[in-house]
Amino acid sequence: MNEERDSQLSAMFDGELPGGECELIARRLARDETMRSQWSRFSMIGAAIRAERGVALHDRVAWRVQSVISQEPTYGDGTDIGATNAHTAAVVPAEVLRRAASRRWNRFTRPLAGMGIAASVAAAAILFLRFQGASDELVADNSTSSGVTQSIVLTPEQPAPAAGGQVPSERLALNDAQKGSTDYVTPKPSPQTNLAQNASLANYVVAHSEFSGPISRRMALLGILASENAAGAQPEGADANTETTDAP
Amino acid sequence: MRPDRVVFARFAAASLLLGAGIALGAEPKEWLERMNKALTSRNYVGVFTHMRGDRAETVRIIHRVRGKDVSERLLSLDGSEREFIREGDELTCYYPDRRMVVVERGAPDGPLLGALPAVDEGDSNVYEIQGGERERLLGRKTRMVALTPRDEYRYGYRLWIDEETSMPLKTQLCDQSGRVIEQILFSNIDLPERIPDSMFKPAVDAANFRWLRADRQMAVNSSPALWDAMRLPPGFRMTTRSAQSMPGSSEPVAHLVFTDGVASVSVFIEPRKADSSVQQGPASMGSSSAFSTVVDGHQVTAVGEVPASTVQFIATQVKATPSSKSTPAAAQGLGLVPPAPRRK
Repeated sequence: MNEERDSQLSAMFDGELPGGECELIARRLARDETMRSQWSRFSMIGAAIRAERGVALHDRVAWRVQSVISQEPTYGDGTDIGATNAHTAAVVPAEVLRRAASRRWNRFTRPLAGMGIAASVAAAAILFLRFQGASDELVADNSTSSGVTQSIVLTPEQPAPAAGGQVPSERLALNDAQKGSTDYVTPKPSPQTNLAQNASLANYVVAHSEFSGPISRRMALLGILASENAAGAQPEGADANTETTDAP
Repeated sequence: MRPDRVVFARFAAASLLLGAGIALGAEPKEWLERMNKALTSRNYVGVFTHMRGDRAETVRIIHRVRGKDVSERLLSLDGSEREFIREGDELTCYYPDRRMVVVERGAPDGPLLGALPAVDEGDSNVYEIQGGERERLLGRKTRMVALTPRDEYRYGYRLWIDEETSMPLKTQLCDQSGRVIEQILFSNIDLPERIPDSMFKPAVDAANFRWLRADRQMAVNSSPALWDAMRLPPGFRMTTRSAQSMPGSSEPVAHLVFTDGVASVSVFIEPRKADSSVQQGPASMGSSSAFSTVVDGHQVTAVGEVPASTVQFIATQVKATPSSKSTPAAAQGLGLVPPAPRRK
């Protein structure tokens, strides 16, 4: 059952699933948490590979797929493909692996082979937007004009193969400084890290986020979610403004 | 053709053109405003991938607007399983990996999620706002808008805004040269009419965790000038001066907020304790930069989603203002007011 599900998802990713089946899968996605989770993983894998080479994914499945790509033989180097596939077959959908293998013998070097797979995944990425019926109780601006449940499932057009690290969707009308700049850059670590413990910094960041716009706020909090060391500052002891307890 | 039909035909043509103009010819700023409105006024549940440097993390977001109450939950689906749950002005941070929970409370009259800097004309001086062209992303029609900084004091953004819902499906934080520092890419979004309270319950059982709570904002001294920045980077202005308590801190902290309309920097000022170590220099956490220094016996720390040079600039420009001399002693005791300037 899982294999069938994964196969269908994979086919949908690759834009090879008929429209009617796409709609059915999309409806299942709306109510099946496990399936959505798998879909999300596929998207993450694609996004990560597409965005940068060598990204270290925490997700186990994503890591496995990445390991396939990292072992992707350069054209004509004689690497045994079968061994690589056998290593990952247990966790990666067969369809994904089959397509990954089929791309091995292209003319590109290892990084571009990764990008080829990424393009395939990106092409199949789907956004599922669901609108539910209107409600008088809530004031969120989510009402639809018809007031009935509306499901929109769109499969993307097949994009041209990504090349040179550029993703089609990133072909932007940007100024010269921005062109060809989809590589990630991580600001250099601060030479001094004795500002305070990361814990104190996390508190400052959280407090600051209250005064940021929604996008900046999200970025700030995500920095803490991903930080190895961030956590609330340790209590200095009993004081007037901070309550420390062992239970909510 | 009869005159009334000619009038009707012209009216119909004008309506069509007007409609097309609204739908297709919206300025990039309009798309930003639509996005801001969507982000703050709609219910949404989604999963996105957050990528920075060599890390990628899957995060679920749940956002609900009910009357004036805004609830939001960010949950890491990988690794740490950390999550943030905001309900009203209370933000609860769960750190299962540290077995700790920190509860922050915002200012009662402070900005809620709905309050965000508006993109106005002044911002055009520090950001170049481009784009608005249609692009396909994840099978959706989107409008790509780029905010490119005109100087080195701020980061830029590229946003792919869904035409139909105005939700940003993809967001990139970029440096001045356009290189991507951080990226958020949604893999799915639901826009439900209702989101039950149960979706704002933490995934982790934190009953046995250590809980740290900050009290509500202390009484704010409304003296017109206590601490201020002598100079600011171009485009920045002060928008908030308040005091708040911090988890783990025994005294309220003076809090100044500066913004250029898009980026913002907070400066926290607290009296130094005799037994505490001096904190000075830069630090960072995710895309947030920080710089700490000591001014008049107070620890001054600037934090913001801006380059390191910007927080350093602002932190080193914070000074006590002369009018603080007339500030009541009680306020000085709170550490919100700098000591009177020393006489030479």
